[in-house]
Amino acid sequence: MLEDILQNRYAVTAVILFGVGFANLMLQQNLLRKVLGFNIMDAAIFLLLASLGYIDGGVAPIVGDRGFDPLYINPIPSGLALTGIVVSVAITAFALALIQRIYRRYGTIELRELLELAKKEDD
Amino acid sequence: MHEDRRDKNLRRRLTSWVDGEREPKDQTLFVMEQRPPRRARQTEEEFERKDRDRLQKFFNWYPAAAAVICLVMVAVLLIAVMNMPGFGQADNPINNEVSDRYLKHGREETGSENAVTAMIVGYRGFDTFGESCVMFLAVAAVMILLAREEHRPADADTEEPEEERADLILEQAARPLIPFMLLIAAYMLLHSETTPGGGFSGGTLLGAGLILTSAAFGAESAQRLLSRRQYSAVRTFGLLAYGLLYGAYIFIGANGLQNHLTRLFLLLDLAVGLVVACTIYGFYALFSRGRI
Amino acid sequence: MIVLEYILLAGVIGCAIAAPLCRRLLASVIVYITMALLMAVLWALLQSPDLAITEAAVGAGVTGILFLLTLKRIHALRDRSDA
Repeated sequence: MLEDILQNRYAVTAVILFGVGFANLMLQQNLLRKVLGFNIMDAAIFLLLASLGYIDGGVAPIVGDRGFDPLYINPIPSGLALTGIVVSVAITAFALALIQRIYRRYGTIELRELLELAKKEDD
Repeated sequence: MHEDRRDKNLRRRLTSWVDGEREPKDQTLFVMEQRPPRRARQTEEEFERKDRDRLQKFFNWYPAAAAVICLVMVAVLLIAVMNMPGFGQADNPINNEVSDRYLKHGREETGSENAVTAMIVGYRGFDTFGESCVMFLAVAAVMILLAREEHRPADADTEEPEEERADLILEQAARPLIPFMLLIAAYMLLHSETTPGGGFSGGTLLGAGLILTSAAFGAESAQRLLSRRQYSAVRTFGLLAYGLLYGAYIFIGANGLQNHLTRLFLLLDLAVGLVVACTIYGFYALFSRGRI
Repeated sequence: MIVLEYILLAGVIGCAIAAPLCRRLLASVIVYITMALLMAVLWALLQSPDLAITEAAVGAGVTGILFLLTLKRIHALRDRSDA
């Protein structure tokens, strides 16, 4: 059991991070902290991807004129995670822009107060 | 006679309809007959109380349910992780012939020694094109949400951000830092075939240099470097250039023609870098002062 | 080297748990930036320099700046208690 955990330490860390982020996304009342939780989930997935591509004793996949034939790590998960990181920034920026608009309209970003204000506005 | 009766009948129906009575049985349609009798409307207070009760119940149950869902999900994922192949072994199923080919032939097929960049810009360039579109649209969406109108004076709810004076420390620190940032960004963009980094990292650093300029020396100096019109032009140009170049890259045969494509690879990388840099800087400008 | 790995992994988990629990939003954002930087070091250890550079610039730098600007916009920087 412990052996397995130590063996798959990156994947276990990624799962824990994902759980933490997901719990924050669902349980926090503050919209900004929800976005933080979302970002933590992102990081967990990228960590899992990057750790999948790693090979013990491998080097970064820059194929130069090396005299010997070294073992390279797998470039595919790195590329996928690289794409994902940049997209996650775009999504974060969009979410934060929405939060700014919500604050400008209602003056708060706490979910409960927002619900009450929105209901009052409906009547 | 006949006409008269029908007329009277119609009039009776019309008056009864206007008065809001239910129609007599013999003239109603079958569907209408099945309409349930109207219940008394619940009063406003009752409705509100019920609504509040429902909301309260939801708020009571929600945290517990969310916690349970989280725990179950983490448990399932942990079980899955325990059964995964070991970390860092060369014969894992993920290290299959695809990555082997990228590593072995990536250099002559795309002209890039860095397999990650070769994959992003070369083999999976269509993916990157989609991503550039995502970034383009993200800036457009943020612009819709946050851009202030130029002609309208500041309202009460959209207070104009006070133009704060730049910090002395920030200014003095930024002065030597910015040239190096721009230099390393250019190095990453132009030299992405043989060193780590590439369109994404170089573009981000370029954007970060612009952000630092804007933060330390005020919006005017950044606008002198990149005005609004230029910004839009560069952003669109980057995306269009990437699309066109990648189309050309596909059509003249990304597979097979060896070293003819090296220059094109560099241009593709530059186009991605421009899009990313503009996106990053655009986010900062829109967030901090509401306009580019 | 493996000790460094364990320290970094524990640090990442600790930062992730601590980040949204901080009472002030500013502290939350700063702890999140710390997490992103630790993550960048982890990726350098995993031999993915491209990822490490991008994460250090994007995850720590740009995301942090966007969060801080948002905090300023929603007036969460001024009061000392929870916003």
